[in-house]
Amino acid sequence: MSDPGKKKFVYYPGCSSQGSSKHLDQSLRAIVPALGLEMEEIDDWNCCGASVGNIGGGRLATTTLSGRNLAKAEQQQATDVITGCAACYLNTHGSNEKIKADIALRRNVNESLAVGDMSYEANLQVRHACEVIVNEVGFDKIKERVTNPLEGLKVAGYVGCQTVRPFANTESGGNYDTFDDPEFLDQFAEACGAEAVEFDFKTSCCGGSVAVISPEKTLHLIKDILQAAEDAGADVISTPCPLCQTNVEMYQSAINKKFGTEFNIPVVFYSQLMAKAFGLDAKDDAGLHRNTVRNDKLEILVKDA
Amino acid sequence: MTASLPENSHKYDLGFARWVYKNINGADKLSMCMQCGTCSGSCPIGSDMDNGPRKLFMMIRAGMKEEVFNSDTLWNCTSCYRCTVRCPRGIPVTYIVQGLAAKATHLGYATEQDAARFAKSFWWSLTHFGRTDERLVTAKYYFSFGLVKGIKKSLENLKIAFGMVMKGRMHLGPPHKVSANKDLRAILAKAQEIEAREQQGGAES
Repeated sequence: MSDPGKKKFVYYPGCSSQGSSKHLDQSLRAIVPALGLEMEEIDDWNCCGASVGNIGGGRLATTTLSGRNLAKAEQQQATDVITGCAACYLNTHGSNEKIKADIALRRNVNESLAVGDMSYEANLQVRHACEVIVNEVGFDKIKERVTNPLEGLKVAGYVGCQTVRPFANTESGGNYDTFDDPEFLDQFAEACGAEAVEFDFKTSCCGGSVAVISPEKTLHLIKDILQAAEDAGADVISTPCPLCQTNVEMYQSAINKKFGTEFNIPVVFYSQLMAKAFGLDAKDDAGLHRNTVRNDKLEILVKDA
Repeated sequence: MTASLPENSHKYDLGFARWVYKNINGADKLSMCMQCGTCSGSCPIGSDMDNGPRKLFMMIRAGMKEEVFNSDTLWNCTSCYRCTVRCPRGIPVTYIVQGLAAKATHLGYATEQDAARFAKSFWWSLTHFGRTDERLVTAKYYFSFGLVKGIKKSLENLKIAFGMVMKGRMHLGPPHKVSANKDLRAILAKAQEIEAREQQGGAES
């Protein structure tokens, strides 16, 4: 484990933190300090471009979007940029690695940034919040922090795609876990005193942005994920990804209508469960009032002091 | 017994392929493709695509520029990166498919594709506010189909939208903005200017 004391973490919340995934942002801001790490927000950050920015604006413009955020973080003397969003991580980390490796690309990014009197010297590491928790904090420290174990709660750990693909188990990606059968989410749940159920669809795609653009093409993908969670006896699905959380949650009624199913499985962020297990406030810290699909188990979490 | 020779409907024509190798991010590795099909087989909605990545890559080698840029394979990628991590030849399939979609848009193909409309709405929010306003991007996308279809799509999703509003997950005030918004716009315009300057050769081949 490296020495977090020598690092300065700067936080990139991403656009969904101000809309559909407020509860991820809220719970991350609560659990990261509780786990002993400090982080300040990137000043005046912009969108990373997500999955479709490249189509709308081209490759260099999309890379430069990340370049601007990284230049801002560098101005704040950061060593590491943390983000909790899968797409923000994918774009910012991917762009950062390319800017580091490709001198011509770095020159072009900096020629663009110069228009706004900025430059990026490519000195930062971009890291996913889950990877930071695994490698800088560790499961033992999570366990130590738990004051309110989530006993009896059965959790299906749904990792999704972009949190672990394509950068899991690479040197620059923090050498944590695998892209096909990652275990960190299950270990988070267990560390919080919950029970991680056997869940085969942990890295099956929810449809990503295609689920937003053309839901009819991807409802069956989400249905399979929900079915697997139900078959595994899960009370809730836990995920790190904003789009997974929203897609798997908000389309349940459309899926029930289309396929004649009766799914009603809450989809929460791992960080919401952690905040609750750490004895933090269910509403202000865990944001558990923001989940739209609710069952008895979720209400117990909200009420339990 | 002698195996019968396959009848080739298309011959190799590497002019377009070479343009793709040079101009699409990651496509310099495309010549390594051995047509194993792991990419198409790994794709969550590969069976709904007209071609899938494996066939698309062979079409590139056959010089089928029009068919490639008009293929719906470019627009159905969910960005799950399963093909990319599984490719035994180390080809960054996802980046290539997305790069082709970007180039298709730039060259004026496939403007009616749903994902192309969505990408346009997304970029509009990004260049106007510096951030994605989920509410406005979705509305702009719905109404890109026209007023009647826009209202229909909005009504279909009204229940979801209402649920999000009630839980404080749909922003209702004026859009969140980057304060150095003008600078950001100028930076992006410069990046696009540089990219156009560096474009190697046309796609006429």
